[in-house]
Amino acid sequence: MKTIKFKARVIAIALISAFGISEVTAQSADEIAKKVYNRTTAKDGESDMTMKLVNSKGETRTRLIHQFFKDYGTVEKKTMFFKSPADVKNTAFMNWTYDDDKDDDQWLYLPALKKVKRISSSSKDNAFMGSDFTYEDMEKRNPNKDTHKLLRTVKYKNETCYVIESTPKEEGQYAKRIAWVIKDKWIPLKIEFYDEDVELLKVLTITDYKKIKDYWIIVNQEMKNVQKNHKTIITLSNIKVDIGLGDTRFTQRAMQRGL
Amino acid sequence: MRTSKYIISLLLLLSSLFSFSQEEEEKAPLEINGYVRNYTGVLLEPPNDFSIIQNTLNLEFKMQTDKIGFYANPFVYQYENRANIFDVRELYIDLFTKKVDFRIGRQQVIWGQADGVFITDIVSPKNLTDFLLWDFNEIRIGVNVIKTKYYPHDDHEIELVLIPSFTPTISPEEGSIWRPEMSFPAPVIFDYSKQDVPVNLENGEAFGRYSISKSAFDVQLMGGYTWNDDPSMHITKEIDTSTMELSGLTVTPEHHRLYLSGLSFNTDIKGFILRGEGAYYFDKYFQTENPKATDALTQKDELNYVVGLDKTIGDWKISGQFIQTIIIEYDDFIQDDEVRNMATLMVNRTLFREKVRLELFTYYGIDNEDAFVRLRGFYFPKDAISIELGGNVFLGTTGLFGQYYQNNMLYAKVKYNF
Repeated sequence: MKTIKFKARVIAIALISAFGISEVTAQSADEIAKKVYNRTTAKDGESDMTMKLVNSKGETRTRLIHQFFKDYGTVEKKTMFFKSPADVKNTAFMNWTYDDDKDDDQWLYLPALKKVKRISSSSKDNAFMGSDFTYEDMEKRNPNKDTHKLLRTVKYKNETCYVIESTPKEEGQYAKRIAWVIKDKWIPLKIEFYDEDVELLKVLTITDYKKIKDYWIIVNQEMKNVQKNHKTIITLSNIKVDIGLGDTRFTQRAMQRGL
Repeated sequence: MRTSKYIISLLLLLSSLFSFSQEEEEKAPLEINGYVRNYTGVLLEPPNDFSIIQNTLNLEFKMQTDKIGFYANPFVYQYENRANIFDVRELYIDLFTKKVDFRIGRQQVIWGQADGVFITDIVSPKNLTDFLLWDFNEIRIGVNVIKTKYYPHDDHEIELVLIPSFTPTISPEEGSIWRPEMSFPAPVIFDYSKQDVPVNLENGEAFGRYSISKSAFDVQLMGGYTWNDDPSMHITKEIDTSTMELSGLTVTPEHHRLYLSGLSFNTDIKGFILRGEGAYYFDKYFQTENPKATDALTQKDELNYVVGLDKTIGDWKISGQFIQTIIIEYDDFIQDDEVRNMATLMVNRTLFREKVRLELFTYYGIDNEDAFVRLRGFYFPKDAISIELGGNVFLGTTGLFGQYYQNNMLYAKVKYNF
């Protein structure tokens, strides 16, 4: 009888411990995900963005974009002006992203049409300009949309990183993501994206980041599609932050006027 | 005295803008861009004439600072079997201030929300030399305009467009395969003496537009005091006095004033872009068979509108439009139908990381069951180089599109942008 009681206590303690540890781990993973999401970023800024599309044969196509952004609190506005290649030069794209579940507002100015068109923004899993990044990959993902699990803490590229697995609560373009997040800087150094069959689809690698003013900014990143063996490299240069951009930068007038 | 004050104020304003620009001018480089293109089309109907062999050089010169800019777009169309064309599509100066932008010179002014149809988008006339086969930026004719845009707020815009001289639609030349069918019950003599509108201030055109752009919607209200770009045909009958029968007709094309007001809008509804555009034309001229009518013409109001829906699904872009034209207070003598209906469908898909694009665009004339179907594919082997292969098919035998049923063609375009 005593043996049975003892065994029961052991099992109970084991279960409590297991659930207790799991709870602590889950909270910790959520906190890490929130810290990545809430990482202090600039109020506004501009930069040149070079996007290199590299195919499986190593051939490269390059897009040069100048971008402006401004964080209004509940909405983040961004305008992008395409500088090259020549056939898309002076094309402008404006995106307003909302903190709540509201779909983005997007407008496109094509110089050949000479008018600004509102475009459908529902498909965030579409590739951005033919690259390996989807529209969703290029923006912050609200951590409340996922369930997070801390897998381990590792040393990666001389940084202590939390390895977080994030599984969407509702079906999305990826079955899960696994991110290597730098402790204290809250930048993901690497993210693995898994497709609906939970096969590794893409790997995002941050190859360079630096502190500008008070902000850690990713200046070089590579997204590789491991299933199709092609990749996209995005590099930021001429980065300026907290420069007091006016609201007029984020209007249809600005899109038509160009850089 | 008051006028001279205004002129002095305007000169001071312009001189202050130019003085600002002197500092900026050194910073702004002159950008030179453009493209070279070969466009070859062959008719499917034997003996398979080349419908077009055209080589194009399109140049764009642009310089812009915060206060001033200019743009010039000369182009050359070199033809195998037509006269070459050298012209300037746009040539204008921009002056920018905090709240007001001026654009003065030859320019295309493009309004409205519709694709491929022209309802409120009637500021720039059209070049229909090859029907609707050219790219739309080539179909629109640049006109001399003084355009002022005033921005009372970031999301509000008031635009005033003044056109000192009238430019009509350019129609296909006599003998062209794109010349619209015209049939008359008797021999016709054309009298073109009244076709040209004299170039003077009295014959100018004016358009105004008020635009609001919000997160939820974009809306534009517009009005115009213009000319009908297409001439009305004044028809007088010649009667043989011996038989009292119709022996001939004299057709005098003449442009008439047109007044219109309209609105356009777009909004996002759960991932669908709903857009629309409508215009009410006042006292437009219509051809009539009423024996009491003068010159076989009558004036009626007309309502034109389009409703469109766009959706992106993965790599697919799908867009449909319904277009309707209604003649108000219709009478049965009028040659045009009281209600005319048309639809368009566009399906577009990119493949292989945007190296390939396939596109279907169709105009469907609902009343005549005729259609213009364009299926084309683009291949981009390198940045800035595109190879386009396509086919234009005309279905039906009558109507706006069916009349060209013998003009089905295949074409290729090779384009290099720089």
